[in-house]
Amino acid sequence: MIYNPAHVKKRKIKSYIALSLSTVAAFLGLFWLGFILYDVLRHGIQGLSLELFLEDPAPPGIEGGGLRNAFVGQLLIVFYATIIGVPLGLLAGIFVAEYARGTRFARTISILSDIMVSVPSIVVGTFVYAILVKPVGHINFGGLVAVGFLSAIIAVVFGWFLSFVLSKLFPVKSATTGKFIKLLTALFTTMFGLFIFLILYPKLVDRIQGFNGWAGAVSLAFIMIPVVLRTTEDMLSLVPWTLREAAFALGASYYNVIKDVAIRAAITGILTGIILSIARVAGETAPLLFTSFNNSYFTLDMNEPMASLTVTIFNYAMGPYEDWHTKAWAASLVITVFILFITIVTRTIIGIKYKK
Amino acid sequence: MGKFLRKYPISDVIFAFISFSASFVVLSLIVAIAYVLYDESSLAMHRFGVLNFIFSAEWDPVKEVFGAAASLYGTLVTTVLSLMFAIPVSIGIAIFLTEISPHLLKTPIGIAIEMLAAIPSIIYGMWGLFTLAPIMANYIEPFLQKTLGNVPVIGVLFQGTPQGIDLFTASVVLSIMITPFITSVARDALNLTPDIMKESAYALGATRWEVVKDVMIPYAKLGIYGGIVLALGRALGETMAVAFVLGNNHQITLSLFEAAATITVTLANEFTEADSDVYLSSLFYLALILFTLSFIILAVAKFFLLKAERGYSR
Repeated sequence: MIYNPAHVKKRKIKSYIALSLSTVAAFLGLFWLGFILYDVLRHGIQGLSLELFLEDPAPPGIEGGGLRNAFVGQLLIVFYATIIGVPLGLLAGIFVAEYARGTRFARTISILSDIMVSVPSIVVGTFVYAILVKPVGHINFGGLVAVGFLSAIIAVVFGWFLSFVLSKLFPVKSATTGKFIKLLTALFTTMFGLFIFLILYPKLVDRIQGFNGWAGAVSLAFIMIPVVLRTTEDMLSLVPWTLREAAFALGASYYNVIKDVAIRAAITGILTGIILSIARVAGETAPLLFTSFNNSYFTLDMNEPMASLTVTIFNYAMGPYEDWHTKAWAASLVITVFILFITIVTRTIIGIKYKK
Repeated sequence: MGKFLRKYPISDVIFAFISFSASFVVLSLIVAIAYVLYDESSLAMHRFGVLNFIFSAEWDPVKEVFGAAASLYGTLVTTVLSLMFAIPVSIGIAIFLTEISPHLLKTPIGIAIEMLAAIPSIIYGMWGLFTLAPIMANYIEPFLQKTLGNVPVIGVLFQGTPQGIDLFTASVVLSIMITPFITSVARDALNLTPDIMKESAYALGATRWEVVKDVMIPYAKLGIYGGIVLALGRALGETMAVAFVLGNNHQITLSLFEAAATITVTLANEFTEADSDVYLSSLFYLALILFTLSFIILAVAKFFLLKAERGYSR
């Protein structure tokens, strides 16, 4: 084409306009973020007080009281969700990234869990309602699984401690005694885990009576599993394969390579992934609406309906009282600050650790 | 596959088995969700059929007649509108982050946009109800009504009394929520354009916008599609942000300034109140429809993203 100054000018102006528009878009995004955060801060700070954390709610319409029940309920539900979700997600991620590396099974699992991450959380809520709330009078499998994992974790920690003490007390002289002691530790750890389970289970879990805290914990765990799985898989696949080969060459079994090389190399990433997944489920409301439901009384019993911050925010914000709205804003502020703080810190850690 | 040929010691067998079972849980979870939802909704399926349920707009708990059309319509409208608002903005942000922004600002602005995704949806809901809805009702919606409301054909969309609790506000809140999803995927895709291609275009005398429009966007096309479909899946299933500002009113209305219902909002508001078996079963039916829809859409998104990944690595 023949050089035409007017044409070039037109193109330049067009370019300038388009690029300005995308700058405006970026500022629009920042504007929304600032607007939302400022608003939560502005409203939330009015309701923030010590009573909010230390007192139970006053009867509807009466001023005062706090949200102690919701804070404690939220902590309990998220705690048990973590107990169930993290080991499952972690183990599944290890299997996908290590034992099944490169197989069709591994690809299927990681695609499916990518989809699971985005499946509407309210659907998970309805599913858990059908299996853990509706069958009244049946065994609460959610509680069973949660207590099972809890005792398994306690037993594993106990086992580590035991083998540490034993190795200090009886330094291993020969391969046979070493194996013998290992076997004994494993046996004793398993017994200990079973023992803990048999003590805890009847104390903590009852038959299903309707809405219960266990169901809430399980639905959050279901949301957590794919998130933990994917980050574990990603972080493990970032560890160079040659590192594992070096360990194989020394005669280590794959189990030992995973335990002492792969996971140790990827531990920062895996831990931050776990913390991010906790932050993510801490803000979930929809799956709790019809699993743990709500409770205006303080309870530590997971077999009862249990208050959580998010569901309380929903109910209070929809409620008619001005005082409720203030409390809902205050709770929103607490939850937002918690989640944003965790997210920023973990992202920075990942950013520093995995800088290209 | 040489690594699998080594003889495994017992610790490996045990650990591999345990971790295999854990990964199997993920697989069975999806099957279990689909099966349980199907099982629970079989009563409603018997009573109302499939097509009949989807196309019937009647939702009457008293007469026990249920149809999904109103909820589906609400879901469709909010999703499409929010995508219409979100796509230009998020692609604009992605272009800003890859091409325009000074290097120093790239990371902080990128993190700030991702913060939008980290804010829990209930906060969006609260903010939408107490802050955005009054602004909408008092300023923006009357303004739209005055200007666009008199235009023939599209004027129909802006009828009614602006209340702030309606399809329009819900779509705006949703669009803010899904912006970071499209942005982060689009930014990553745009970033993967080889410098050599951009430089060749510049060498031919292209302006910056022409490089973006004719080199980078075509190159990142599949990734951007993937991001958009992913955001579509998100928008479909979003509950709390919409529940506050939509009003749960089962009606099919052309006007965007009317309260409506989406599948998620219906579930959130009515699940604990369902007193009859048919009612509950119909709600499960809605959940099944939502699950199927979002599963298909997310699978499509994943397909695009995988294809894009394969294309780039070539």
